[in-house]
Amino acid sequence: MTLDLTQFHETFFAESSEALDSMEAALLKLSAGDADAELINTIFRVAHSIKGGSATFGFSEVAAFTHTLETLLDELRAGKRRVDAALVDTLLRACDLMREMLAATQAKKRIDTTRVAALHAEIELIMETPADAPAASSAAASASAPVTPVTAVLEARSGWRVQFVPGPKLLRNGNDPLRLLRELALLAPCEVRVDAKWIPPLAELDPEECRLSWRVEINGPVKEAAIRAVFDWVEGECDLNIEAFGPAHDAPATAPAPQLPAEVVAPAVPAAAPAVVPMAAVAAAPPPAPPAPVHAEEAPGAKTAAVANADGGSIRVSIEKIDELLNSVGELVITQSVLSQLAASLEGHDAEELRNALGQLERHMRGLQESVMRVRMLPISVVFNRFPRLVRDLGQRLGKKIELRLSGDSTELDKTVLEKIGDPLVHLVRNAIDHGIETPEVRLAAGKSAHGVIELSAYHKGGNVVVEVTDDGGGLKREKILAKARERGLVGADEELTDERAYNLIFAPGFSTADVVSDVSGRGVGMDVVKRNIIELGGHVQIHSTPGKGSMVRIRLPLTLAILDGQLARVGSEVYVVPIVSIVETIQVKKELVNSIAERAQVFRLRDDYLPIVRLYELFGVEPEHTDLLAGLLMIVEADGKRVGLFVDELMSQQQVVIKSLETNFRPVVGVAGATMLGDGRVALILDVPGVISRAQTTTPRQESASRAA
Amino acid sequence: MIAAAQAPVPATGGPPVSGKLVLGVSCTIHEAQALRTQLLAQADHAGPYEIDGSGVQQVDTAGVQLVVAFALDCLERGVTYRWTGRSSALEEAIRVLGVGALLECPG
Repeated sequence: MTLDLTQFHETFFAESSEALDSMEAALLKLSAGDADAELINTIFRVAHSIKGGSATFGFSEVAAFTHTLETLLDELRAGKRRVDAALVDTLLRACDLMREMLAATQAKKRIDTTRVAALHAEIELIMETPADAPAASSAAASASAPVTPVTAVLEARSGWRVQFVPGPKLLRNGNDPLRLLRELALLAPCEVRVDAKWIPPLAELDPEECRLSWRVEINGPVKEAAIRAVFDWVEGECDLNIEAFGPAHDAPATAPAPQLPAEVVAPAVPAAAPAVVPMAAVAAAPPPAPPAPVHAEEAPGAKTAAVANADGGSIRVSIEKIDELLNSVGELVITQSVLSQLAASLEGHDAEELRNALGQLERHMRGLQESVMRVRMLPISVVFNRFPRLVRDLGQRLGKKIELRLSGDSTELDKTVLEKIGDPLVHLVRNAIDHGIETPEVRLAAGKSAHGVIELSAYHKGGNVVVEVTDDGGGLKREKILAKARERGLVGADEELTDERAYNLIFAPGFSTADVVSDVSGRGVGMDVVKRNIIELGGHVQIHSTPGKGSMVRIRLPLTLAILDGQLARVGSEVYVVPIVSIVETIQVKKELVNSIAERAQVFRLRDDYLPIVRLYELFGVEPEHTDLLAGLLMIVEADGKRVGLFVDELMSQQQVVIKSLETNFRPVVGVAGATMLGDGRVALILDVPGVISRAQTTTPRQESASRAA
Repeated sequence: MIAAAQAPVPATGGPPVSGKLVLGVSCTIHEAQALRTQLLAQADHAGPYEIDGSGVQQVDTAGVQLVVAFALDCLERGVTYRWTGRSSALEEAIRVLGVGALLECPG
């Protein structure tokens, strides 16, 4: 049997991507002059982990580049080199390049070797300058760049005892203690003692399970973080105990390692030593107890240890498994709802008790559903973390001084929502930097501070997550927007708009931003796309602006995409769910407001607008109760700036529905976002309002009838 | 990969051997199952054995652990063995993993 390492590639890429995010965040903090030893250790650990993983998986180009980078970072850790702005720039570019190399490797595409070679050479050039001098690149850096020696904050110990007990899956997961011990030996001279007492007879040995464990004495001034960095890649797959010893560390070792009968000091024990291995006696013995933890407050790397412990409390679970779980819970909720409806019509004492029990079941089900949904939740910091870099780079490029403030970055929302909200937020922040924040000169002239402020905040409000992008720039130019909107026929020549409607014009489709958006915020994506993306998520976007003071875009997002607030509407015997977020209002039609513009193509007047009428029974080919517009109801729905009236027989209740994908279970249908099961066991289709509108526009009733007949 | 020569190998100084064990070029986790099978087959023969590790070019902990398990089995059974050669790659792995003493036959 051979071990297929490719099964670990995805995990490696995912973990590396997260690690690079934390490296970038640490570098940005460094650039702000915060030369915390822990930051430098974080950066080093990332490069080290990626190097180790790349080497294991045979991604030689990534491994070679990160090896050189690691060497440079090691000089920083050792305090041999100073951190300055130019060096941070180089490291940020290295971070970007690693990201690209990994993405190319993952996509099995060619790595841009020219760029790799160029940056590789640049890093080597930096290292060729004397190690105790500022880095080569810093010579070109501006004199005002923060220069921070890191030596003072790094304190070494004279020696360490490391107890390393590999877990059962360590080898299978592509890790090799041989490599780890080799790396330890690079830190300082090591004395390695192996413990072989858990090795069973060969016939019982699983050859892919490591049954050896080690105690290593490292004799030299090494930082604990450097030792932990060696084991970064196997965190959670082994028991690791690190104790300091030696004169520089006066705290006693709090967890003296037990005397292991089978331990062997490699260089010193005579050849007869293996005789002490009591093979038969230990074969059935329990595995060793995990080593007692070092007292954190006494350990020099207490902070590192705490961080490592905090991370140890999580596991990586595939999103498919969570979705399966969520789906099962959704089914349970439906079943429970069916039971409740059945019980509602029962009579007698037992029926009352049944209803009480079902009420309890419902409460527990809601609790369970919320818990499972929380598993899919991630903090919005996952998205927010990209902004310090973006603001820094863009501000530099445009010659603007910008301070980014983040708040509420621990606010959690659904992973899918998070993935989709990233690009719209980037667009809004770019816009704020490009158009909102003025240049320092303009700001000073307006009596403002030279530093502009962009604030990204997130918070929970009424079952939704609200994300706000605020800037203290010049605000939107109302008259300029109105003039442009009139020019494009979006607003009548004499029409006066409230501020809110005027500002919201920037989200209108067709509101060309060509002459107001530079290459920075352009990217071929307009604000209408931002709004559409948010609406597709079931969200809502508003903009507020005060001339001279700044603007604020407020996005309201649902916590999850698995559940939808829906309005149930009946057409004949069918029930449809209309997302509440799309509904503007519901009205009864008056005859005098309806005009026929072609055979059976009708519009009706809603205040100053003429809206097309979409008869759902025609669209979906069902038998309605009413065909007379006056007998039913019109739901005014809006999508992509278009409004139509959906003709239905009757409105029913509003309720949260669990969305079932039609695409997964059947096939995609234009105008239908999914399906759900109602409390009475009936299946109801959930309308996709933009799809309904486009379907109504492209399919005339005559064509629809013809296709049904065929 | 491993080749186990079942025919007795002429003794060269030491006690007569009934099996010569030649460790293959690669003794890593990829070959671990095959290596284990071959070591078990070797253990079916009465010792002493000669182990030739001079051709090993790739080795990892899984490979070394199997050889250690084999050596400990020999110790249990009172079978002796001796090394006829160890490549530099194998030597380095044995040194780094600290298993040198476990692979010295006391006999």
